[in-house]
Parts: sequence; C-alpha cells; structure tokens
Amino acid sequence: MATVDSRPARAGGTAVRGSVFDSTGYHRARKAVLAVLAVVAVAVLLAWPAITDYYSYNASYYDGIVASAAISAILTISLNLSMGYGGMLSMMHSGLQLAGGYATGYLVVKLSGSWLLGVAASVAVGTVVAMLVLLVSLRATYLYFGMITLAANLIVIEVGREWEPVTGGIVGVSGIAPSIGDEIMSKRAFYYVVLACLALAYVLQRNLVRSGVGRASMAVRESSDTASAMGISPSRAKLLLFAVCGGVAGLSGALYALQLGFINPDVGLLDNGIIFFVGLFLGGISTLIGPVIGVGFIAALVELIKDQARYTTLVLGVLLLVAMMVIPQGIVGTWKASRVGRDRLSEPEDETLPDTVPDVVPEVRDVPDGVAALEGSGIVKHFGGVHALDGVDVRIMPGTVHGIIGPNGSGKSTLVSCLTRYHQIDAGQVRIFGEDAPHAAHGVAHAGVTRVFQVPHLFERVSVLDNVLTGMRMRESYSWVGAVLRSPSYRRQDRKEREEARELLAFAGLASRADWLASSLSHGQKRLLEVVRAVASRPKVLILDEPATGLTSDELDALGRLCRVLRERGLAVVLIEHNVDFVMGLCDELTVLESGKVIERGTPEKVRNSAAVLEAYLGRPDLVEEAS
Amino acid sequence: MSPEAIIDGLFAGSVYALVALALTIVFQPTRIMNFAQGEAVILGAAAAYQIVALEKLGWVVTLGVTIVLAALMGLLMERMIMLPVRMSGSRYAWIIATLAAALIFQSLFNLAFIDVDALRPNPVIAGGFQVAGITVEWQEALTIVVALVVMAGYDLFLRRSVYGRAIRATAHSSDTSVLMGIPVQRIVVLSFVIGAVITAVAGMLAAPVIFVAPATGLMFTIKGFTAAVIGGVGSPRGALVGGMIVGVLDTVVRSLVGGSVGNFAVFAALAVILVVFPSGLFGKPMEAH
Repeated sequence: MATVDSRPARAGGTAVRGSVFDSTGYHRARKAVLAVLAVVAVAVLLAWPAITDYYSYNASYYDGIVASAAISAILTISLNLSMGYGGMLSMMHSGLQLAGGYATGYLVVKLSGSWLLGVAASVAVGTVVAMLVLLVSLRATYLYFGMITLAANLIVIEVGREWEPVTGGIVGVSGIAPSIGDEIMSKRAFYYVVLACLALAYVLQRNLVRSGVGRASMAVRESSDTASAMGISPSRAKLLLFAVCGGVAGLSGALYALQLGFINPDVGLLDNGIIFFVGLFLGGISTLIGPVIGVGFIAALVELIKDQARYTTLVLGVLLLVAMMVIPQGIVGTWKASRVGRDRLSEPEDETLPDTVPDVVPEVRDVPDGVAALEGSGIVKHFGGVHALDGVDVRIMPGTVHGIIGPNGSGKSTLVSCLTRYHQIDAGQVRIFGEDAPHAAHGVAHAGVTRVFQVPHLFERVSVLDNVLTGMRMRESYSWVGAVLRSPSYRRQDRKEREEARELLAFAGLASRADWLASSLSHGQKRLLEVVRAVASRPKVLILDEPATGLTSDELDALGRLCRVLRERGLAVVLIEHNVDFVMGLCDELTVLESGKVIERGTPEKVRNSAAVLEAYLGRPDLVEEAS
Repeated sequence: MSPEAIIDGLFAGSVYALVALALTIVFQPTRIMNFAQGEAVILGAAAAYQIVALEKLGWVVTLGVTIVLAALMGLLMERMIMLPVRMSGSRYAWIIATLAAALIFQSLFNLAFIDVDALRPNPVIAGGFQVAGITVEWQEALTIVVALVVMAGYDLFLRRSVYGRAIRATAHSSDTSVLMGIPVQRIVVLSFVIGAVITAVAGMLAAPVIFVAPATGLMFTIKGFTAAVIGGVGSPRGALVGGMIVGVLDTVVRSLVGGSVGNFAVFAALAVILVVFPSGLFGKPMEAH
C-alpha cells in the first residue's frame, strides 16, 4: 500500500514534489514534533502516579488502569511479533498469559516464593508452552497453525480448570501479591515495575526486528522457500521467534496476576483475548509502536464508556470493523503511508555502474583441481507417472558459467530444485565440492549453493537494503540475545553488513534505491536485486533460473557483467535460460535437456551445431522437407 | 457409561455437524473460517426461547421466524465480514472481521437476554421412546433425523443442481468462476444465508436439550470447527462424520470421567488429528491463504 501511495510523488512532477510534505524542513519539523510527543508521553507515564495523586482521591484506580493497559500492551507486542513479523497466526496468546499467571500464582501463593522468582517461572512456562505447540505444528500451514493454537489455548484453559492443586480449579488462585521481605510492595512501586517491563518488551521487539534474527523471521513469513535459499532454516526461525513470544506473553501473565492479585481460567478465554487483536489491528500490525498505541486507545475508550460497561463489547466490535474499512493498516500504518507521515525517499538517479569490483563480491579460492563445484549424477525424479528427470548427469566446474537449456517442460527447473534439495530425488546423488549435499534446502545454501527463483521471490514489504541484508543472514554469528542487547559484536557485524550491502547495491546500480520498498522496483530491478541478494550470501555456486526473462537490453548487459565478474572471482554460475543469444555469449559450457534427459553437453559452439539440439528445438528438418 | 450417553453424543454431534456444514458452506467460496457462525445457533435458540417459552406460540411459527431472522443474519454477516475483508487486504483480515462480527452478535444477544442463564424452550415433541431398552428422547431423534436430511439434501444440491456446480467451481477458483460467468458475489451471499439458516435451525432444535447461553456462540463455532477439521474442511460427509466424532467423544468422555474433561478430549483430539493428518481425516490439503 505504501508503495502505491508513494508513487505519485515521484511520477507526478513538480506540482506534487513541491508539496510542503516532501520538503526537508517539514520532515525535520515532523521528526522534532514526534520526538517531543514521545518524550511527553514517557514523562506523563512516569509521572502518572504523582499526577493522579494530586488530582484525584482515587489515584490507585487510575494507576491500575494504566498498569493494566501496559500489561495488555506487553501481550500485544508479543502477538505482534508472532503475527506481524513472524506470520504465525496465534490464537493462544490469552492462554499463554494464563499459563504465565498460574506459574506466578503457584510460586507466590502456594510455595510462598519470591515474586521475582514467579516472574522468571512465568517467562519459562510461557516459553516452554509456546515451543511445545510450535514443535507439534511445524508441518501445519498458516490457517491450521491458527487452529492448533486455538486448540492449545482451550487445552490450557481446561488444564487450568481441572488441575486444582496447582491452579485452584475454576475459582483460580487469589492473594497473589509482590512482596519484598515481609512487606507487600505498594501498588505505586509495582506500577513502575510494569512500566519497566513494557519498556523492556518494546526494546526487545525493536532490536529483534531490526536484527538479522528479525529479518530471518520476516523472510520465513514471506516465503519459506526463499528463506531456505538464503540458508535460513524456517523451522528454527519460527521456533526461536515463537519461543520469544511465549516468554513475553508469560511475562505479561505474571504481571497480570501480580497486578490484580488473582488468576483464573477465564483470563485465557478467547473472548478476553480478542481485545489484544483489536489493539494490534487498531494500532497497526507489523509496526513497532502500533500495539502500544492501539492498546492505549482501547484502554482510554473503555474508561470513557465505563458507565455503559455492558455496551463495551458491542462498541469494540463495531470499532474494529469500522477501523478495518477506514484504516486497514491501523493508526501507525496509515500514518506512515499517508502524505503527511511517510518517510522521504531518495530521488532515483541514473547511476553509472562503477568499474571497480567491490571486495564484497565473494571470491572462491583454493579449490582442488578437477573437483566439480556442483555435481549431480544419475538424478531421477518422477511426479506420479511423469519422468521429469530420467538419469541426468551434470557437472558444474568452479570458475565457469554453465548454461542449462532445453525446450519448455524439459526438466530444467526440476533439475535445479533437485540439485538444491527443494525436491526429494528418487535416485541419484548430489555432491557439492566432492561432498554429499545436505538434505535440507537451507543446508545446501550453507554448503555454498544459492539459487534465484524463476519468478521473483523478493521480500516485497521490506526495503531494498533489508532484502540484501537478509541474504547475509548465514554469516551472522550473533545470537538473538546479542541482537536484543545490541552487543558490541552485533553492532560491529551490523555496521559492516550495511556497508557491504550498500557497496553491492552500488555495484548493481541500485544504490539510490536502497531505502525504497522492494515492491516499488521495476521488474528488471527486482531481478537484479534478487541476484544481488543471492551474491550477498557469499555463495560458491550461484544458480539463476531464467534471470533474463523480461529484462531490457541494458539490464541484460548489467546481468551479463555481473555473471562475468562472479566467474572471474572463481564462482560457478549456473544459468537456466531461454534467451539463446544471452546464453551463447556468456556460457563456457552448456548442458541441453530434453524430456528429462541430457541430449548434448559441451561448449556453445558444439551445442550450436548439434543435430540432437536442432531436432529438440526445431523438429527434424529432413522430415519437414520430405513432407513438403 | 450408559447407552444413553451414546445417543446424547449422536444428538450433540448432529448439532456440531450442522455447524460444521455451515462453516464449510461459507468457507468454500470465500476461504473464510467464519468465527461468527456459532452466533446463529444462539439466534435459533433465542428465537425458540422467545416464541415458545415466553410467547407460548407454536413451533411452526418458530421455524418460520427463525428462518427469516437467520436469512437476515446471513445477509448482515456477509456485509459485516466481506466488506472489511475486501477493503483491508491484510492476510489476517478474515479472522479479525469474523471475530468482530462474533463479538457484535454476542454482545447483542447478551444485551437482549441479560438475565437469562439458559435459552431453554420446551421440546418440540415431549417425552421419548424405548428401543431395545434404551430411552431416546423424541427431540434428540428429531434433531438427528433433521441433520441427516439437511446433509443429504445439501450434498445432493451440490452435486446435482446447476447452482451447486457453480458453488463447487467457485470453491476451486473464484477468479476463474467470474470469467466463466458465474455470479460469484451472489454465491457468496447465498452461502452466508444458507449457512446461517442451517446453523440457526440446529440451534433451535438443540436448545431444549443442550445448554445454550447467550454468550456461548463462540464455543459452538469452535466445536463445529473441530468437527469440520476432523472431517476435512470442504466435504459435507466429512462434516457429518466429524460432528458425530466430536459429539460422541465429548459426551462419552464426560460421562466416563466427568466434568469438562470432555472438552479437553475434543481439543486434544483436534490437536492430534491436525498434527498427524494436517489436512483432516477426509479432506484435501487446504492451501494456505
């Protein structure tokens, strides 16, 4: 959506470009105003107990409202991480909160332990429950994942109802209070604990999302196939993110129990969980501050209509439907997409391509002679009764550009999918530098073989730069904890990655578009970006599936130039192409497929003169002449 | 465990099966799991309660009123859900819209029947009969028969009539169906109406026996959904089998162990089935959307 909105500004000429909203001054002013607003908001939150104390006889009530809203915001942040950034439809967040609440309740009331211990236990319980659910549902697709989490939510509630010794059954656990020594912590002190936790959750979300860990999750959200090609294991990325979500949800459960002093099965009901969905969508899903704003808005609304409390659900429901129609991207998303709120984009320039090859472009050295970079022998693949590949041998040497050509349906793309383990092969072997290829697609990427798909598989909703950064995920060595804490090693790596990514983009002539959304690029630029992203993963073998389709001649030149540079650097480049001129001019070696069999291999010259190839492409000229 | 528990299970199962069928009917052309579907159960129960228990009018009036009200509810639901979904474009739009619709209906029922615990009218036919020493209540038998007839009727409609074929085509690809001249929009509206009517009739028949409170709509949706998933979303027969499995499992476990363990068993079964058969017992894989 943002792209659709941002286009007219570029295409519309001076009239639109001259608008106040695009001027530097406006952007500076906006930034200042937003910063001031943020500072004011934080200051008000910090001073809230003092304010209520001064103005109201019922201070603790108003403190409680804000604290409860903050607790909801923590849970909504967790939901945002899972749904917005991870693409995992979770309907068990209220259940996770309940589980977390029980952990604290049990520890504080039944074992008379410290409340800090209770919070730790809640985080642990939330994490474990979330991980268990994710592990059993790894195979489930998007909708079914939601349904499994729904079932899990109901199971958590039922367990809560039945396991009386721990959960107190239907009545629940009450009398949960945070105490230091023998003294119960004042509500006012606990208010600051809640606020600190909210800040913690927000920072965790922000740092996670902006790091390679978050980019990996977003890659999996967009397409697990593409993520695998970048060397990202979809299962691990999902498990990590959902475990973190579970921990945050557990934390909010602990705070809930401590704040209200009780926990019972009703907390976990989906009916109560809906408020988090409303908050998330009202505020803006997949935005950092959206969940907090959304929940704050709802809390204020509920407070305003508290005299008509029985209409609350009705009002919330109608509000949600109206919001979906009027501001489908939520408050924050709509603001960001609007003329008033959108970020300034750099003007696109016609860039001259640099002559020097940046060091970032990977280099393959010290390869023993005569060992193929990628080798498939006797590969057989059946789809039902169709023999898509029937004993194909292919050897791709390092430092060459290897073309795989053949008529439509001859099995070229299937061959690539088999070599990169996207398809299970029925017989045959795949070796990478003489060693058996790993069995998972992301393992193949780790072994140095990166593929670019036939249809563009960009991560359209993130920036061009982030796309390239996602390609670098494989060589990031920091853990998610390092990313969240912004450890020195993380910062160093992150800075280096960003520099390298910009260099690569400059080399491909995309530097001025680095901050654009990937979806706003033209088709040719997208293809080029995909190749850049693949190169960023430092492959030893790069497989390009029909990269030239739909490219202009300039773009073709840029692509050819890139392939030649990679060859010089010792990489093996595999080109699957229809554009015969392009292939013949570029390739050192060709393999020609027809009906799943290799009919010719060798130099372009040899292939050009091969009778079998002519027959496959044109039919048999001799027969044609006879017939006429 | 008494054999009556099985009959109770089959009865509850036929209610869930009808909800599952309705969910399937709406899902096929729209690819939307309607979380508001269970609210139609409450509508049926509420209509029966209002007309039979309070106004002391007959069941014929009830049936007529229920069908009219449910059709209106279906029309309303279609607007409430499809309009935001089309205008939003978010991949989560459907769940938010259907949950919001569920919320709205639920709070309306809550407001209308604010001091009513259970919407329980008198049965259509009081009493029961004995088969081989097992007591079967007429109401239960009637509900099971109605469920079977509705299932068979819809199956026949889907397979034999032109409209049914159009619905099946739309289920496969609504874009292609538009190109083939099928009025997809009309089919979507029709699906919501048929779904709501079937669910409301189920609610009307169930109310005298099952516990139906104004706020229990979501529970019926979830049980019906469980049935649909167990049977494989998209097939009326699957919905029937799934519904029966859910109903019998629920009641039998309840009578053996007691309490809410029945629910636990049902949801655990759902989780296990989804893990082992990611596309349900009888269904084809449902593509992610």
